[in-house]
Amino acid sequence: MAISPPVNQQPPDRYGEVFDRGYQHYDGKRLGRPQAVKSLIIYSMKRAMGIRKSWTAKVLPFLLYISAIVPLIVMIGISAIVPQMEFASYTDYFSGIMLIVGIFVATIAPEMLCVDRREKTLPLYFARAISRFDYVFAKLAATAILTMTISVVPAVLLWLGRQLVSDSPWSAMKDNIGDLGKVIVAGALIALVLGTLGLAVSSVTSRKGVAVTIIILAFIILTSITATIFEIVDADWKRYFIFLSLFDVFDAFIRQYMNTPNIPTLVQEADFSTLTYFLYMVGLVIAGVLFVRWRYAPRDEA
Amino acid sequence: MTDTHAHPAAAPPVIDVQGLRKEFGKFVALHDINLTIPRASVGLLGANGAGKSTLIKSLLGLIKPTSGKATVVGYDTQTQGTRVREHVGYMPEADALPMATTAADFVAHMAEMSGLPARAARQRAADVLYQVGLAEERYRLIKGFSTGMKQRVKLAQSIVHDPELVFLDEPTAGLDPKGREEMLELVERIYQHLGIAVVFSSHILEDIELVCDYVVILDGGRLAASQPLGGIGDVLGQVTLRVDGDQDAFAGKLSAFGIPVETTENASGALELAVTASDERVFDLIRDVAVSQDIAIRSLRSRSRSLEDIYLSTVGATREAENGD
Repeated sequence: MAISPPVNQQPPDRYGEVFDRGYQHYDGKRLGRPQAVKSLIIYSMKRAMGIRKSWTAKVLPFLLYISAIVPLIVMIGISAIVPQMEFASYTDYFSGIMLIVGIFVATIAPEMLCVDRREKTLPLYFARAISRFDYVFAKLAATAILTMTISVVPAVLLWLGRQLVSDSPWSAMKDNIGDLGKVIVAGALIALVLGTLGLAVSSVTSRKGVAVTIIILAFIILTSITATIFEIVDADWKRYFIFLSLFDVFDAFIRQYMNTPNIPTLVQEADFSTLTYFLYMVGLVIAGVLFVRWRYAPRDEA
Repeated sequence: MTDTHAHPAAAPPVIDVQGLRKEFGKFVALHDINLTIPRASVGLLGANGAGKSTLIKSLLGLIKPTSGKATVVGYDTQTQGTRVREHVGYMPEADALPMATTAADFVAHMAEMSGLPARAARQRAADVLYQVGLAEERYRLIKGFSTGMKQRVKLAQSIVHDPELVFLDEPTAGLDPKGREEMLELVERIYQHLGIAVVFSSHILEDIELVCDYVVILDGGRLAASQPLGGIGDVLGQVTLRVDGDQDAFAGKLSAFGIPVETTENASGALELAVTASDERVFDLIRDVAVSQDIAIRSLRSRSRSLEDIYLSTVGATREAENGD
């Protein structure tokens, strides 16, 4: 980094204690907008994980990681020692961590957007080398990347564990490479859908607690409504209610996508194709992105 | 860049505004403003609602004007908004800081948000926080800071990326008299010592008179005046002098040379000397007496045509013109 000589070469006067290093102009690299967006992504991820904040901010993300990864490692370990023990299938694993991923998103998404609005730091961001859309893009990217660390990474570990405990790990890896692609696609879709919807909710309130509550309640209540309707209604139209429950949509998609034999009754009754579920999830992501973008569009305010 | 800092008079204007008009529905916030602002310490003066903030937001490329155009540090605000903001700093009036982060982390992040690489950003954040007097406190969480310290963090983030121009929106708002005086000194140094052009928005005449050498006055969204403020020696007559050290001895010495001196008190309670300068040699004498008595001159400005006079005459004139329409 090249620094030009200080402008202030005068000896410090009695008010100059804070200036006696002299001010140095910056003649080094200016990386512009891409650097600004990258910085915002990294900074947002760190803040959401509680890095460089008090320990209380780190507790919940840490516990969620533990609850997603530790049982997996234990299961891989047991399988290595007792080979005849059946491993949990990918679909069972995804079903098991769905709620954890939901709580994880409910924890990080409000941290991404609500805090900047509550603390009124948005004018500082918009006065920097980014556009409003860059801001939204960076927050979406930060949320999706972080969520993938809890939805994709453990699933990849599961795949790896399954191959490593087989008799011939290398050939097992080659034979099952298709499964790896599928778990990555499934984990990434879950992360993107939950992440964008979490941000969409967080973009309407500046109170973190409200956003957290709405996200978790929506996840639980909508799933319950779907289950109840499938239980009590005996008409063909009830099948569309599966789209209310993200949990069931994910479950249906993953089971059909990965050709799992045991399909739950609810998914059987709904009877939609894998492509329909896929397009629905992509549609949710696009709708979520457009909504957040609209919330942050410039408005004429005096 | 350092060349233009060294020769402000020869530098091209930092802001060039042509026919800038902004309407919010039926309300006209800016009436076809034409304005050229030199590289200087510029006061943007006007009552609340005069259009100061709208003008600053337009110049930052954050709001789209209804008509007209503006160029800031050589970039078009509408087509090159991010480029403008890469080279310009902004200190908002409102409390706008993240509480659960340290001053050093936040200011470094803001430097990166202006495009500086991470390592340079951290180094400059530490340096600039030192410049604004937050050397020891920079690793503390901002939520424990006083209003004055928060204002300093806001100032630091506005200059950390070494901008060519910085917009300061009411930087003295909410400060006690001592904090206000310290903030004004910092603002003065940004242009005088750091070489960064300043646009300082305020509704307090005295603040602008103390730190600015050029003034732009807005009234009801109209440009009422855009002119240099009387500098030393521009106008002979009464000058106001603020010194550190033994003020009475200094005044006595000047009187001994036959120069009329009176001690007065300004609006914030600080003592000032009102000196009658009948010719330019008086300024030399003031300098020589200050040197001989080891006294630091804090400020020296003309009283012949104060900012208040300019404000009253120009704002009065625009209102009369408006009523005559």
